[in-house]
Amino acid sequence: MSQDLSRRDLLRDVVRGTVLAVMGGGALFLVRKANGQVVWQVDATRCVNSRLGELGVEACNLCTTQCVVALSAVRAVNDHAKCGRCNICPAYFNITSAVDEKGYPSEKLCPRDAITRKPIGKVDPEDPANNFYEYFIDEKKCDGCGKCVMQCKEPLGLGSIVLRVRYDKCVDCNRCAIARACPKDALVRVPMALGSR
Amino acid sequence: MRRARILVVVLYTALACAQSIPYQRPVDTAPQEKTIGGGYKLPAVEKPLPRDAWLQVLDVAMLAAAMGVSVWIVLRRRSRKWLVGLAIGSLAYFGFYREGCICPIGSIQNVAVALVDPKYSIPMVVTATFFLPLVVAVFFGRAFCGGVCALGAMQELVLLRPVEVPRRLDRALGLLRYVYLGLAILVAVRPALGRDFLICRFDPFVGFFRRTGAPHMLIIGGVFLVAGMFIGRPYCRYMCPYGGLLEWCTRLARRGVTITPDKELDCGLCAEACPYGAIEKMRAVRRNCLYCARCYAACPRDGELAHAKLVQLA
Repeated sequence: MSQDLSRRDLLRDVVRGTVLAVMGGGALFLVRKANGQVVWQVDATRCVNSRLGELGVEACNLCTTQCVVALSAVRAVNDHAKCGRCNICPAYFNITSAVDEKGYPSEKLCPRDAITRKPIGKVDPEDPANNFYEYFIDEKKCDGCGKCVMQCKEPLGLGSIVLRVRYDKCVDCNRCAIARACPKDALVRVPMALGSR
Repeated sequence: MRRARILVVVLYTALACAQSIPYQRPVDTAPQEKTIGGGYKLPAVEKPLPRDAWLQVLDVAMLAAAMGVSVWIVLRRRSRKWLVGLAIGSLAYFGFYREGCICPIGSIQNVAVALVDPKYSIPMVVTATFFLPLVVAVFFGRAFCGGVCALGAMQELVLLRPVEVPRRLDRALGLLRYVYLGLAILVAVRPALGRDFLICRFDPFVGFFRRTGAPHMLIIGGVFLVAGMFIGRPYCRYMCPYGGLLEWCTRLARRGVTITPDKELDCGLCAEACPYGAIEKMRAVRRNCLYCARCYAACPRDGELAHAKLVQLA
């Protein structure tokens, strides 16, 4: 009886050792081919909102509706170095709305009022058309609908606003829900270094 | 005029609207700090970074530590109360703080794909998350299931009125896990275009952890929670693919929950208390044992209540 038990224990030890060795081998294999962190990012050359030649197309809005994270992990980002700083910014104003008495469009474009504008540099209060403006998109309000991105690109704007995945919000799903829905396959999984560009 | 303005007259369809201004882009290159003047500094483009590497390592460390604590509570401390405390802590950290991701259950798919597809690789954190609970199971049994797994903890805490599942039905339903495991791996290792991650898409509770989710996820989660009030941990026992792997590993474990023969009364209170059918003929069946420590709590001679209960018996 006791001999029987010890034999069973021995057998179990042998099997356990084998299993551990197999797991160790598998882990080693995976660790050796492990690369750096990969992240989901919006490819601006594919996204309908930012790619050229898609003017007048409705902003597609899937980044807002499909993301599993509340508010969406995608947001519009203004690259200030590329921003034209226009007086009448087609991404800030709804340039198809009626003009008010000061000569500005009466409506804003952003449905969530996430963009703020302020004059910068040497401000000439007499001639607002000749001032430069900083357009800042509030991260907490932007839900990545892409309307401003659609307006900012050439030829209306300079294409300084693009949709970007905010990594602090993105939960890095294996199958990104936006990527599944995106008709242009604009969401791609890239190494962290490429994605942060 | 600050600069020669190049008037780019744009034919924009919507601008045909009579009231609106004909839009012209005033510049063709972006003005930089020098042009803007007034000491203006270009603000940096906001780039929220992913979770720091050390925090990701911390997650793995927390996983290992929680399993260590789980083993200690169940095998040494033999305390249900402590175990419930650990479960609440794990639910808070791995569930609601880390929002259920990454978890060993889902990592099955990533590991499977990484093993098969030469172009697919996973971070070391994922590898560790997948193997750690299995290694623990090989020595001590399913310590991960008890107080560490957020999905398990969720069900552990809602189980109010356990109903015994007939043993045969229990066994038959238990096979579902392997069907699900096989299916999930098959779908995950398909070529990249047809690849899908079923375990993540049909995760019952991640919608609750994130406080948002697809309707089907929340419905599945709700069903499991309601069923889980009466059936002990329905997801763990009948659906969890990782539970299937842990069960195999647990067969090799030498240590595990014990119904101590020297102290035994043969009263059967422990078997009655076990909602998972893991006590058969007054002995713990380790592969089914989910480390919940209910048997200790029910035992008149064991656990933290031993003294009080003995007095009562006398």
